[in-house]
Amino acid sequence: MSAPAATESRFASAARWVSTAARLVLGGVFIVAGALKVIDPQSSVAAVRAYRLLPASLETFVGWGLPFAEIALGLLLVAGIATRAVAAATAALLLVFILAVASAWVRGLSIDCGCFGGGGEVAPGQTAYGTELLRDVVLLLLALWLVWQPRSRLALDGFASSRMNPHGEPRSPEPGAMNEARG
Amino acid sequence: MTSPKNMNARERARLAAEQAAARKRDRRILIGVIAAFVVVVVAGGILFQAWRTSRSPAAAPSTSVSASPMTINNGQPIVLGSAEAPTTITLYEDFHCPHCAEFEEEFGPVITQAQESGAARVELYPMSFIDEGSVTAANAMACAAEAGFGQAYYLGLFANHTLQWSDPQLIELATKVGGSPSEAFRTCVTTKAHADWVSSINAVADKNSVVQTPTMLINGKSVEIASLTPEALKAMITSASQR
Repeated sequence: MSAPAATESRFASAARWVSTAARLVLGGVFIVAGALKVIDPQSSVAAVRAYRLLPASLETFVGWGLPFAEIALGLLLVAGIATRAVAAATAALLLVFILAVASAWVRGLSIDCGCFGGGGEVAPGQTAYGTELLRDVVLLLLALWLVWQPRSRLALDGFASSRMNPHGEPRSPEPGAMNEARG
Repeated sequence: MTSPKNMNARERARLAAEQAAARKRDRRILIGVIAAFVVVVVAGGILFQAWRTSRSPAAAPSTSVSASPMTINNGQPIVLGSAEAPTTITLYEDFHCPHCAEFEEEFGPVITQAQESGAARVELYPMSFIDEGSVTAANAMACAAEAGFGQAYYLGLFANHTLQWSDPQLIELATKVGGSPSEAFRTCVTTKAHADWVSSINAVADKNSVVQTPTMLINGKSVEIASLTPEALKAMITSASQR
C-alpha cells in the first residue's frame, strides 16, 4: 500500500470514523426514541400537551407525527444518506427539544420530557430536567459534528457518489473510497 | 467518448464545470427525495395513528367481580367489589394516563383477584385531566357502574387505553365486555349524563391533594407505587384484610 495522500490527513481519517460512530449513535437513539412513542399514541399526545406550548388542534398532529419524523431521520442517519442535510435537520429538531424542556423548567412545570415514551405530569420532586437537557445537548453536539464532518465510513453516501461518477477524472485510489460519504 | 489525454485545457474546464453542475443537480434531487421521504413517513404515521385510535375496542379480560347497579353521587367514588370486603383500595386514575395503563397491566390482576375473593373492594376516582377522551371515558365508566357492569368495563377501558374514546367506541366496549348496552346506557354516554360527577371527582382529588395518577391508598394509607411489586401488593392486601 502506498502512503496516504496528502488530502487524507490523519485527522480526516480519524474524523470519518468519529462521524461513523456519531451517525450510528444519533440515528440509533432517534429510532429507539421514535419507536417507543409510536407504540402509544395517547401518551405521545399527552406528553406534547404537558408542555403547554401548542394549541390543542396541533398537539394531536405533533404527538402522532413527531415520533415518525424521528424514526425517518434516524433511519437516514444510520444508512448515511445526505448526511449533512439530515444531520442539520436533526440538530434543528434537537434544538427545539432543548428549548421546549428548558421552557418547561423555567415555567416551573413538573413534567417528564417524554423523550423515550411516557411523558406528562410528574410529582414536583420527580423532574429530571438537568439530565434530560444534558442528554439532548450531547446529541446536539453529535449532530453538529456531522454537519461539520459529514464524510464517514459505512455510509450509502460514499457508495452512491463513487458510482455516480462515470466520466469524472480518475479518482486517486484513496483507501476506503468506496464507502466514503460526501454530505 | 473523448479520453482525457486528447482534451485541451478549455475542454477540460468545460467538462469540469458540467460535472460540477451535474453533481449540484444530483444533490438537489437527493435532498428533495429525502424531504419527500420524511413527509410521507410522517403523514403515513399520522394516518396510521388516526386509524389506531379510532378503531373498535377489543374484548377485555373477563371478571367475576360481583357488580350490582350503583347510584352515582357527586364527589363519591365508584365502588367495585363487595361492600363487606375488609380492605378498601382507593384508586385515582385517568383512563388516558400512560402510567395508569402500566399500573393496571402490572397490578390489575392482583387487585382483581382480591376483589373476586372478597378480600378487597376498589373505590375508584376516575380523574380526567389528560384529554377529551379522559372525560368521555370517566363519564362512561359511571354509566357502566350505574348499569351494573362497572368492573368489566373498567378492565375494558384500560385494556384499550390507546383508543381515543369516542361515543361509538365507548358503547361498543360495553358490548365487548359482555354488558348488553341498554338504551339508558347509550343515552348516558352520548349525553354525558355524569359530566357534573366527573368534575366533582376532579375537585375531590384536588381537595385530597392527589398530585399524580395513579395514586393508590390501602385502607386510607398511601402506597408508594414506584418501588412496588405485585407480590408486595398482594402481601399488603392480605395483611390489611387480617387486621
